[in-house]
Amino acid sequence: MNWLNVKLIFLREVRDQLRDRRTLFMIAVLPLLLYPAMGIGMLQMTLLFSEQPRTVVILGEKHLPPPQLLDGDKFVSNWFNNPADADKLKVITDTSVELVGGGLHAAQNLLLLEQARALREHIEQHTAVGNELKQAETKRRQRLTSSADSSDESLAMIQQRIGQLQARQVDIDHELMDLFASSQIQVLIVVPDGLKENIERVNRLIVERDHSHAAGFSYPRPTIVKNRADDKSVVAYARVREVLDAWEGEILRQRLTAAALPEELTKPVGSAPLDLAAEEQISANVWSKLFPALLVIMAVTGAFYPAVDVAAGEKERGTMETLLICPATRTEIVLGKFFTVMCFSMSTALLNLMSIGATGHYMLSVAGGMGRGALAEAGVITLPTAPALTWLLILLIPLSAFFSAMCLALATFARSSKEGQYYLTPLLMVSIGLTVFCLSPAVEIYPVHQASWFYSVMPVVNIALLLKALLLNPGNTGALIFAVPVLATSIGYSLLALWWAIEQFSSESVLFRDGERFEVGLWLKHLLREKEPTPTFTEAGFCFVIILLAQFASMRAFGQSIASTTPDEMGVQMMKLMVIQQLAIIACPALFMALILTASVRQSLRLWLPKWKFVAVASLLPFALHPLSLELMASMQWFFPQLPEGATRLLKAMGDREQSLPLILIALAAAPAICEELAFRGFVLTGFNRNGRTRVAICLSALAFGVMHMVPQQVFNATLLGIVLGLIALRSNSLLPGVIFHFLFNSISVVRERVGFQIADGHAEQLRQSFWHWFVLLEDGGLRYTWLTLVISGFAASACLWWVWQSGRAKPTSKPVNNLFASGLAPAKQHSTFAP
Amino acid sequence: MISVQQLTKGFDDLRRGWVAALDQVSFDVQPGEIFGLLGPNGAGKTTCLRILSTVLRPSSGTATVSGFDVVKHPTEVRQRIGFMSNNTGIYDRMTAFEMVEYYGRLYGLPDDLLKLRLERLFDTLQMNDFRDTLGAKMSTGMKQKVSIARAIVHDPPVIIFDEPTCGLDVLVARKVLATVQLLKDQGKCIIFSTHIMREVEKLCDRIAIIHKGAILAMGTLTELQEQHQQPDTEELFFDLIARYDQQNQATQSEFRLATS
Repeated sequence: MNWLNVKLIFLREVRDQLRDRRTLFMIAVLPLLLYPAMGIGMLQMTLLFSEQPRTVVILGEKHLPPPQLLDGDKFVSNWFNNPADADKLKVITDTSVELVGGGLHAAQNLLLLEQARALREHIEQHTAVGNELKQAETKRRQRLTSSADSSDESLAMIQQRIGQLQARQVDIDHELMDLFASSQIQVLIVVPDGLKENIERVNRLIVERDHSHAAGFSYPRPTIVKNRADDKSVVAYARVREVLDAWEGEILRQRLTAAALPEELTKPVGSAPLDLAAEEQISANVWSKLFPALLVIMAVTGAFYPAVDVAAGEKERGTMETLLICPATRTEIVLGKFFTVMCFSMSTALLNLMSIGATGHYMLSVAGGMGRGALAEAGVITLPTAPALTWLLILLIPLSAFFSAMCLALATFARSSKEGQYYLTPLLMVSIGLTVFCLSPAVEIYPVHQASWFYSVMPVVNIALLLKALLLNPGNTGALIFAVPVLATSIGYSLLALWWAIEQFSSESVLFRDGERFEVGLWLKHLLREKEPTPTFTEAGFCFVIILLAQFASMRAFGQSIASTTPDEMGVQMMKLMVIQQLAIIACPALFMALILTASVRQSLRLWLPKWKFVAVASLLPFALHPLSLELMASMQWFFPQLPEGATRLLKAMGDREQSLPLILIALAAAPAICEELAFRGFVLTGFNRNGRTRVAICLSALAFGVMHMVPQQVFNATLLGIVLGLIALRSNSLLPGVIFHFLFNSISVVRERVGFQIADGHAEQLRQSFWHWFVLLEDGGLRYTWLTLVISGFAASACLWWVWQSGRAKPTSKPVNNLFASGLAPAKQHSTFAP
Repeated sequence: MISVQQLTKGFDDLRRGWVAALDQVSFDVQPGEIFGLLGPNGAGKTTCLRILSTVLRPSSGTATVSGFDVVKHPTEVRQRIGFMSNNTGIYDRMTAFEMVEYYGRLYGLPDDLLKLRLERLFDTLQMNDFRDTLGAKMSTGMKQKVSIARAIVHDPPVIIFDEPTCGLDVLVARKVLATVQLLKDQGKCIIFSTHIMREVEKLCDRIAIIHKGAILAMGTLTELQEQHQQPDTEELFFDLIARYDQQNQATQSEFRLATS
């Protein structure tokens, strides 16, 4: 690696980007102009919006009781929380119309009153019909319950009348709706006659403590008409409600004072909230929601355009080959370009955030100073603190790195800038999806609930969540612990993405992709007719995806099937399902794909006989590795969440002595050993190993094997075992040693579980006195291994693995298949080359 | 200097299946020699030269440049060749001087030497008029000159020209050819690919006629003319290609008869 070349390429690309007006505009000018412009627009709109008062019409305002509610054509400002709000409601009553006198306004107001009266009539009709309906219904109920024939009407007649009344009510309601919608009234208050007198009368009754007139408490109440579907009406109603509540509270207070009752009478509980949020914290809350989402989106967009320009653009402008013939290696070229993209991604994100922060801060302070508009109510938001901003900067680095590498790989794949742009939408959609997920308050990085450890290793989400927690409270030690896995995994993902980008850049078919026409039919024909002896990398990957999807799809069916069995049969049923799952979901895809897509099934699935040495090692190795694997998993238990219910049940079934041992061994050892080996050490590993990179192939197939196990603990364990299995399979070039290893390893697990239960059931003392107590001990009702066993196993396992690693190296078993294309062009010729 | 042995390159094509763009090609080129690759479009010239410049990897066969294998030591090979073709464009947003200087630095030239070479190159190729012009604003002739300067800035012992006069007017083409001649006189080892007979006649010491990925004939021009008793180069070229196509068709139909 020549870092001087990387630096040269980086500097050139940066200069190139800075000379490109489009990129500059997207990255620097747009954020600096866009947000202030948007801010100005919003401010203007809120100003215009607040100028518009809403119309409230009150009919029968003469009957309103004291204290004074109205002041001319407004409500008395005392009743508002914010006295300035009084201007936002225009109240029209008979009196206010008289006060204004003649003129255009007066005519308009008279019209409004006219409309209001029409509305009142309809309301009265509505009430009247409603009353009649109630009576009719009572009558019907009477007719139904009592057989006495006191009235002259028949049941049918009553039924008919109810129908008529209901229809009439619907009509009235429709008319009322139309009338209200066509009027300019946002809220109508109809005050019934004698409200003032009624209230005074009740007050007197209370003062006198006169209980004999209980009926006197019911009198006609005012009606407030609003339309919930109309935003203006909703806003006006909310304000009217605020006024009326305050005013009614005062009436109540006066009533209580007059009756010599304490004011607290109406509040038997009267809880008081205690808000601990300081002003910075309120701001921190806002930032912690806003910034992670914005950071992710900006990092993607900031990376994307430069990436398309430096990769696809280079192809488009015909300079790709010029670059490839310079002495810099492909890795150096990609790194140079990667740092360029990352630099722009980071600066775009920072510029955007700064611009948004500054604009938002400025707008809120302006709105706060003017004391109007919805923004003023948000309070003055302070900028994030220095530690929070430092964290933002630190976390931006892995985030940008990841997106830059991803974008670069995608952009390298694209033939032209135009094709490159097409890839932006899916990438952006996925990132937005992830950030929206992070916005939910329930999603946190803390391990409060089971699956949350998972978030700290999930790409993008982990950074967004950590940032959210740290912006809320920069000194949050609980979240800081997660910084280690978050940063470590993020760097890991970035490196993976970068590796992918380098792969893309080294691939001839990607670099020199010409405008070849693609036809599905032709492609299928090519795939099926011109088979190659072994699967390609893509086919292997596809096989894994099929297995994963099938497993996902089958989860529900299997779950239902288990749930519907009785507890006694549960174990047997589960064993059956295990075998079916192994055969149908894991072995079948691999077998079929090998049959359909490759010319040599035998070669694809490694169906050769191994050397006896490999068989011997594969039979010994499980005994050495099992104690190590068990103790490793036990010592790492803290890291993983609790096992899900299904897995616990499965473990229990494994140790269940009621089950017959052969059945369990078939389901949990034999079936997986054969099926999983066929798929993962057969088809998948062969495909991954096609381009001759043994280590990459082993790691990828092990990872695939791990991921297939779904449960985090098993994913970890299986990945480690997958590496061992992959190594054995590649070195022996046979499936058999792997099958033996897999079978023995699983069998030991099953037997250990069973023997452990048996010994715990009364043979504990026997064990303690026997020779075996040097090697195993009982703990929590299970068999565990002693340090002695672990040391011996460690040495044995290392020796075995070393032998396996060494033994195959010189042999051409893992020789890349690619080179064999050299000897003959037509794939058909290769069979002879490969026959052992 | 350049040694190509049994070089083969195949592509996987959806429609045609496995296609050999280059089939068992072998040749050698010595220093102070211009080796002409003559062939129609799609003959495999560019594929062959791309393999020599390490941009493509051969399917089989070997190629060495100054003793370095193109597969095993690609960086060393790239250090020692200057490569120029239709596909090696120049950057739009760089000036002529920046472009050549950038490549000089990538080739690892020390600052003082680079400065000296840049001055001399810009003088000999008469590029001082547009030394600060951006690539996007240059004419085709200017671009070609920048490309040549870019290819020889590090004074490589081996220079590969892939159709360098394609799309140029007569005046500029003449200058380009003169430059190639000049480089030969400096003792460089040059491969010159073209489909124009005149250029071959004028420049090349030895030629290979390449068609459909295979070399049909190789030798000096006079050797070839005597061998095939055809004094006219153009006629010679057509004869060879027509004969090859006929043979090929015959073998194909034979093959078909045999298999059916």
